Amino acid sequence: MIEPILTVATAAPAPGVTVLSPAGEIDHDSHHVLGEAAETALRQGGERLVIDLTEVTFCDSGGLSLFVGLHKRTTAVDGELRLACPQPQVLAVLHATNLDRLLVVHDTVADAVRAASSRPDPAP
Amino acid sequence: MNEAGQLRWLQAVRDILDRSHLGTPQDLAGSVNAAVAQLGLRTRIWLVDYEQTALWPLPEPGRGTPEPIPVDGTLPGRVFARVASMPADNDGRRWWVPMVDGTDRMGVVEFEAPDGPVADVPDLVRHCELIAGLTGHLIATVTHRGDHLHRVRRTQPMSTAAELLWRLLPPLTSSSERVVMSAVLQPCYEVGGDGFDYALDGTTAQIVVLDAAGRGLRAGLACAVALAAIRAARRAGRGLSDQARMADAALFEQFPDTRFATAVLAELDVEAGRLRYINAGHPPPLLLRGGRFVHELDRGRRLPLGIADASVQVAEEMLEPDDRLLLYTDGVTEARTATGDRFGRNRLADLVERHETAGLPAPETLRRLAHAVIRHQPGTPADDATLMLVHWSSPAALTTVPKAGQQHDNGSRA
Repeated sequence: MIEPILTVATAAPAPGVTVLSPAGEIDHDSHHVLGEAAETALRQGGERLVIDLTEVTFCDSGGLSLFVGLHKRTTAVDGELRLACPQPQVLAVLHATNLDRLLVVHDTVADAVRAASSRPDPAP
Repeated sequence: MNEAGQLRWLQAVRDILDRSHLGTPQDLAGSVNAAVAQLGLRTRIWLVDYEQTALWPLPEPGRGTPEPIPVDGTLPGRVFARVASMPADNDGRRWWVPMVDGTDRMGVVEFEAPDGPVADVPDLVRHCELIAGLTGHLIATVTHRGDHLHRVRRTQPMSTAAELLWRLLPPLTSSSERVVMSAVLQPCYEVGGDGFDYALDGTTAQIVVLDAAGRGLRAGLACAVALAAIRAARRAGRGLSDQARMADAALFEQFPDTRFATAVLAELDVEAGRLRYINAGHPPPLLLRGGRFVHELDRGRRLPLGIADASVQVAEEMLEPDDRLLLYTDGVTEARTATGDRFGRNRLADLVERHETAGLPAPETLRRLAHAVIRHQPGTPADDATLMLVHWSSPAALTTVPKAGQQHDNGSRA
């Protein structure tokens, strides 16, 4: 079996908004790749994270843990986490674990970016 | 049996108990043998391994140690599986007798009468079950005095996480007059984040199945923390919602890096059949009625343990006599073949229905299900797989008790 590989592309479509686009499987062995990309974004001030799940074919509890962790991290610094365009398997695990009640999920990346950008900046 | 005969059996029981006080785990097989020698019998104790695929003989000094016996396709295996004694030959010189601790299947005891059939004991098998039952209890208590019995039951070393977890779990099977609770965990030497618990007290059965996110020792620790928090709350008299809240708090405090656990917490009133439950992001349990899968218990939903959720509402379901509840973790349904074919819920429900038709005791149904899940995936399982079966049925409870013993229970149930 070929080792599942996860790659992540990063974009900054608006000030303070980072879109992370992982491609592959997010599992116990690979989720750190996405985690590190998110850390970099947070360090660089992109505290509103959008994770574009279009190219993610599989996500297990390792990936879900990462999402919950990033949700906590971003809300703690007055940022936010939005998930966009999950494929059927990912949507199913988000629903099965009830985490779709905690995590904001958008149908498209554009919706997620729009929602993230329209959010008023925190009071200084 | 005449009075002298009865006294000899009593003496054997007394000898076994007397020797057990200062006995180490290595001494047990020899003590039982020495005690039954005065009855003209010889015993060999066989323990089932953790994966429940083979029976392993307890070594005895001065006596050769035979090869292990597979559970599948052998007479001793059948005795273990069915919890029913069976003769090994036609002339009444050898029997295989199930060895349980309560209703937890430990293995089998082989009885032999080397000098010919034991004459004046009409209910010999029942007497042998008495000795095997006592031995089962003793094994459960002396096991933790040393490593010997732990070693006999292992076919490979355990991971640290599995070592931690097994020590936390209650016996795989416990029945009361009204209900059977049984569980199975795989891969048994590497299990990490999965766990289960139950408590049978009076007319209430409390049930927990949980799956901590992650793998290995970190997941095992999270599972241990959640299980302990739930138990502590329960033993302090707190209800299901509070048990979940205590687990939230304990996980959050110990694992600020977002360690969560999915779980089902339930309590069954075994008199009325009222089941109350909450589901913290876990696969919904299956309800089986009349041997058929009826529906999922898909209410009582809240976020996984470790993520506070104020909106939890306990769900209720009225069971009918003989209903079965199958709880499982996603390692069961998500098990995949090399080509990606999932084990899936439907296959799981089909298999339980089929084993129901075969009239197997709950622990045997689970053993076969767990092996089917293992066989479904090539190589090392990707995730822990736990199954728990709750069978609300007095006749089913009796199938987990050695058969000869039942006839001497109060007549109404025999």
